[in-house]
Amino acid sequence: MSGETLLPLAVALPLLGAALLLALGHVIPKRASDMVALLLALALAGIGAWLAREAAAGPVTHWFGGWVPQGGRPLGIAFTADLAGAGMVCFIGLVFAACFAFAWGYFEPAGAMFHVLMLVFMGAMAGFCLTADLFNLFVWFEVMSVAAFALTAYHLESSAIEGALNFTITNSLASFMMLGGIGLLYARFGLLDMPALGRAAAEAPGEMVVAAACCLLLAALLTKAAMVPFQFWLTDAHAVAPSPVSVVFSGVMVSLGIFGIARLGGTVFAGVPAAQGVMHGLLLGLGLASALLGGVGCLQQRHLKRMLAFSTISHTGILLGALALVSAQGKAGMLAYLLGHGAVKAALFMIAGILLTRCGGIDEIQLRGRGRAVWPAGIVFGLAGLVLGGLPFGTLDEATRLLDSAAAEQGLPWLAAPLLLGAALTGGAVLRAGGRIFLGWGRVSGEEERAPTEEEQEPRDRPLWLMLAPAAVLLAAALGLGGPIAHFALTAAGGGEMPAETPNPWLPWAAIGLSLLIAGWDLGRAHLPRWLRAPVEAASGPAFALLDRLHTGRVGDYVAFMLAGLAVLTLGFMLG
Amino acid sequence: MRPRLLLALAAALVLVPAALLLAFRMPEFGAHPLPYGDAATALMLHERHVTNMVSGVNFDLRAIDTLGEEIMLLAAVGGAVMLLRGARGEGGQRRAAAIPGRPIPRRSEAVVLLCRLLAPVTLLFGLYVVLHAQLTPGGGFQGGVIIASAMLLVWLGEGYAAWRRMLPGPLLHALEGGGAALYALAGLAGLALGDAFLANVLPPGESGSLLSGGLIPLLNLGVALAVAGGFAMLFLEFLEETRAPEEGEE
Amino acid sequence: MSPLPWLVAAWLFGIGLYGIVTSRNYLHLIGCLSVVQSATYVLLLSAGFRWGAGPPIFQDQPPGSLVVDPVVQALVLTDIVVGAAVTALLLVLVLQVHKRRGTVDPDALRPLDR
Repeated sequence: MSGETLLPLAVALPLLGAALLLALGHVIPKRASDMVALLLALALAGIGAWLAREAAAGPVTHWFGGWVPQGGRPLGIAFTADLAGAGMVCFIGLVFAACFAFAWGYFEPAGAMFHVLMLVFMGAMAGFCLTADLFNLFVWFEVMSVAAFALTAYHLESSAIEGALNFTITNSLASFMMLGGIGLLYARFGLLDMPALGRAAAEAPGEMVVAAACCLLLAALLTKAAMVPFQFWLTDAHAVAPSPVSVVFSGVMVSLGIFGIARLGGTVFAGVPAAQGVMHGLLLGLGLASALLGGVGCLQQRHLKRMLAFSTISHTGILLGALALVSAQGKAGMLAYLLGHGAVKAALFMIAGILLTRCGGIDEIQLRGRGRAVWPAGIVFGLAGLVLGGLPFGTLDEATRLLDSAAAEQGLPWLAAPLLLGAALTGGAVLRAGGRIFLGWGRVSGEEERAPTEEEQEPRDRPLWLMLAPAAVLLAAALGLGGPIAHFALTAAGGGEMPAETPNPWLPWAAIGLSLLIAGWDLGRAHLPRWLRAPVEAASGPAFALLDRLHTGRVGDYVAFMLAGLAVLTLGFMLG
Repeated sequence: MRPRLLLALAAALVLVPAALLLAFRMPEFGAHPLPYGDAATALMLHERHVTNMVSGVNFDLRAIDTLGEEIMLLAAVGGAVMLLRGARGEGGQRRAAAIPGRPIPRRSEAVVLLCRLLAPVTLLFGLYVVLHAQLTPGGGFQGGVIIASAMLLVWLGEGYAAWRRMLPGPLLHALEGGGAALYALAGLAGLALGDAFLANVLPPGESGSLLSGGLIPLLNLGVALAVAGGFAMLFLEFLEETRAPEEGEE
Repeated sequence: MSPLPWLVAAWLFGIGLYGIVTSRNYLHLIGCLSVVQSATYVLLLSAGFRWGAGPPIFQDQPPGSLVVDPVVQALVLTDIVVGAAVTALLLVLVLQVHKRRGTVDPDALRPLDR
């Protein structure tokens, strides 16, 4: 089958599957929806892989309804699969397949509804990665959001509902901002096709309408990507969503915001110097801030899923930093990091899910030593923690090296250090939690004791190996496929060869060393002399307290911060 | 003053002047060229023989948007249903909701009569709006909502039990999912015939007739089914929510 | 007045956001969210307007008449469905919050206990 025919199926198959499952949910056998969903996810991965094969020779385009452009003017909506988009589709299919295997039978109480929503979620993500039409991008953005809102509140605990409310309100505002940006561009150019808009905008680069549209679109996508100061919703939502849903949220959804920015930056605003300037300057700053804030916030948590949520902010900040380098190599680093981080984070959330079902909790301090019963999960957890912290091996390491040399090329040789500091903090936090839960270390707890937490449990309804296998496979892929993924990312971004040596080869070692130091410090708190402990606590305490005070859980505060973020973006454009 | 208001005010200090400035830099209102709209109008008028351009854009030129939109509605209704059912479960009740101690007023005969008169007329009007999508203002979304309100008139006139008997939950789900599946399958037809996804594979017919627009009426029917089923389902679940909690329930 | 429609859109956006930031009741907040959304309706419809043109319906006007942009109207239809979908979900969530906490004040709630 030709790639052009296959392209619409990436969206049509999951959506058709969702519609049929909804229609027939009452007559088909119980396990059938699990089966259908798993097969459709694998099919999507297959479609993505096939598209990537075809796209290697050049982008594949499908004009819906056969409305090919006439006289150079686009009429309908196109899907365009370039190598990066096709790779993302394949990745989405794989993560969903792992997630469906992990959640086998878990959502039985909801009937087929969970699978309906998840398939809609999956189809919308594929559409988001493939579409070449700006309004169509908004449609998939919103379909994705609506499915995610409902899935977040699945548990119906009050914390879950409140997390979902904050998620819904902030992300709906984001989508309205996005639509506002689209409206501005349409008023000015009368176009919705992204490449055509890019050509038109390049001829009117200094216009305020274009800058304002860029501002609104960036604000929307930064909200989805949960970057400072748009990040607040993420920790509320990811911490309370059912673990299979969090797997997809942190594994794919958040980083799609960054992917969207890359898409827009490479098409609509490719010829607008002001937009490129903001991406290179301001977004770099926001990425750095997110990487550090996420890292510090992560270290402070005891609720495991909330900890992982903060770590997602940190690593997405690294993605944004790599993208903001506005170079092919940086973009390649971003893509490779996205794939590697998605797989590792999905695996970590799966282990959190195992703890929820097997050990009856998610609180690091309460679970101390109780993870010994599921020690194989501990091995995966520990390895994943090391990878997050900067282990110099595997996909994330390759991506870091790409990022490092891209930064040096742009005259920012120091850039990778603060980004990796954020990663090291998250690695330290995850290793600390692993040591405490699976080894029983760390009797005396530090700052994390004052962090918010909750009693939570998920039913023990499926065998351990079924939950552990997807996590292990994802982690193994992230570790073992580093070379091929980096090669793929470089080809997709047109970034040439893998750099032979990086400017700061010591950096990953420093990061992993710092991770281990932090974890060791926190776990061995009881054995540390007071004169050593006191000054560190005096320094870290206020930072933790400030961060905790900012994450109030009140949606009014979050929206005020979003407004401030929009104002900062506006200033970025005004001051050039 | 609360800190958040201060923060919002500070943001407004930047955003308000920027918005004001932008309003004066926008294209001239009502006098700037509309290339996409004019091209769409010409195409739909001459190649698809429809007279309602909005339907032409929604169900032909940009039909994939509408598939996404329909699926979004399906996801929202599905999510709402899932969250409302929660611990309550799906089981249909034989009796309507009742708050203990408050008597249930009898339906007046006037209400019953009016509903019996209005329900079929409303249904007919909904179908009319759906079927004339390609000709006059309206279409699957608008008509679907009208059909759903005809279903609500059944509840008002015949009472809860009769309503649940006539329109059981699985039927509404089947309408909802079936409508969306019909849309997607109609899209696949184009692909199967070697054309593009959602290609308008039927003849455009005669301008101004019910069968003009090729595939557009069929797609509208799919949307109407999904919307009618979805909105009736939402109403049903919100109504269930008013039931007084029973023993052992939250 | 040429900038007036754009100013109306900006005003709706701003005043809706003000309402969200200061809201003490989720139902009011959902209303404010709809106000923000109506800003996008106004913006899109204004972007497709043209002086002296008729509606994009040719049932009762000859082909070739000057009409406004049908594309933005189609986009607004999608936008309205988005609004309905999000509002329905939000109302469900608020209903459930009220059942569990007995309040609909956003400031009285916290997603995780501490």
